[in-house]
Amino acid sequence: MKAEKLRWGGAHLLFIMVMLGLGEWLTTNGWLDPTFVGQPSGIIKFLWNNIATGKLWVDMGWTMAGTLISFTLGSVAAITVGLLFVGFPKLEKFLDPYLNAMNVMPRIALAPLFILWFGLGLGSKIAVGCSLTFFIVLSSTVAGIRGVSQDHLTLCKTLGASTFTTFFEVTLPGAVPVIFSGLRLGLIYALLGVIGAEIIASEKGLGQLLAYLGATFEVNGVMALLLVLALLGVSVVRAMTWLEKRLLHWQ
Amino acid sequence: MAQPSRPVDLNASLAIAVDGLHLNFDGSTPVLVDVTLHIRQGEFVSLVGPSGCGKTTLLNLAAGLVTHTGKGSIHLAGASPLQGNPQVGYMLARDSLLPWKTALENAMFGMQVRGVPRAQAQERARSMLQEVGLAGFENMLPKALSHGMRQRVALARTFALGSPLLLMDEPFGALDAQTKLQLEDLLLRLCQQHQQSVLFVTHDLSEAVAVSDRVVVMTSRPGRILADVTIDLPRPRSIRELQKDAHFHELYAQLWEHLESGWSKHEG
Repeated sequence: MKAEKLRWGGAHLLFIMVMLGLGEWLTTNGWLDPTFVGQPSGIIKFLWNNIATGKLWVDMGWTMAGTLISFTLGSVAAITVGLLFVGFPKLEKFLDPYLNAMNVMPRIALAPLFILWFGLGLGSKIAVGCSLTFFIVLSSTVAGIRGVSQDHLTLCKTLGASTFTTFFEVTLPGAVPVIFSGLRLGLIYALLGVIGAEIIASEKGLGQLLAYLGATFEVNGVMALLLVLALLGVSVVRAMTWLEKRLLHWQ
Repeated sequence: MAQPSRPVDLNASLAIAVDGLHLNFDGSTPVLVDVTLHIRQGEFVSLVGPSGCGKTTLLNLAAGLVTHTGKGSIHLAGASPLQGNPQVGYMLARDSLLPWKTALENAMFGMQVRGVPRAQAQERARSMLQEVGLAGFENMLPKALSHGMRQRVALARTFALGSPLLLMDEPFGALDAQTKLQLEDLLLRLCQQHQQSVLFVTHDLSEAVAVSDRVVVMTSRPGRILADVTIDLPRPRSIRELQKDAHFHELYAQLWEHLESGWSKHEG
């Protein structure tokens, strides 16, 4: 098993090295224009310089802070509203058209308004991130609770379980897998919302740096940041998968 | 020598008394018509009949899951049915084990909901798991158990409650033939030991004959009682031995005739 993992790792490393070498060769020999697509050596140099000076870490810190705060606030709000909807279906029925209208609206379009309201700091990014996370987690919370096994609920009824016991012993644990899939997606969308808001206007953050580098034709920097964002996204998904495996080991 | 039948106390109040019961779900379509059924304490009665004849509805009325609004009456040990009645244990067709709880925790669940202290519930659940043949599987999650083992845990959970009346809705309906026979044998043993009154819904005539003191045959919707057949096979019974018993097959054939006459009446 370990040997197989090593073989796969080696194959990926070889593939990446070949692609980088090919990119370097194509750009050095004039087959591709580094002004538009960057150059592997330039990208590595950019990363090295910015990681060493700490500039990249500061921006990444702001982006991650924005993502985590918007994810937490958005999820807590969504789970709370989801529970209210399950408890009071009429409230859901009444609010449904408004929530639908808000959900189908491209949330990034709200960024200029949020920047106006909350300024160029963390506030506006969090607002955009929250607005994306909220609806995803809300729908998964409602679906998760509604999808709880009817057999389990019948069992609780025949045992004379209180609403409190039924909720905490059966409904909530039964809904967690579906809520969790919403949380996983919600975290990715929180990152998307924060980066989007930073690109539009922000003082700090990877999105802001990306916009600046793009505007100044620093394609190596843009490519380097895209790589960092991809790695960040993968790390976030990996972290959620790890947590899911620990929490939902019974599945 | 085998006993003639399980002893029943005729003087004790009835475990279930259904008298002239009518039920309409939407105020017009009758579901149950003039159902009268008396189950004595310690008696095992099976309800058989075609799908949709109202067997499960009758069981759910007794469990308080369906509210009775029509004519007639239904009483459990002299009282009206009540959802969550501690005198009643209910077992569903599927095992309904909570997948995030171990076999032991699942067997404890019913008792804990009904307020049995944890230590006591744990001790009783362990002994029940042993009784259903699952000693050593206490810490396993349902995903690691076979269908038959899961249904054994569900039996342990139901019997651990110690309720004097058990309502069982096709508890072995979803099992393969061999596992079903093993669990029927287990049910016979458990009932012999715990002496509870049981109302058992099933589609399977041979299962009904094997486990019951009486089998009640119902017609298709609207459900009426067509026949009430006493199963005078001696106890303790063994499923394996019953297969070779001529009287078992006679009773089976008798029930088939009743069921068939119910169909022809319905079709006519």
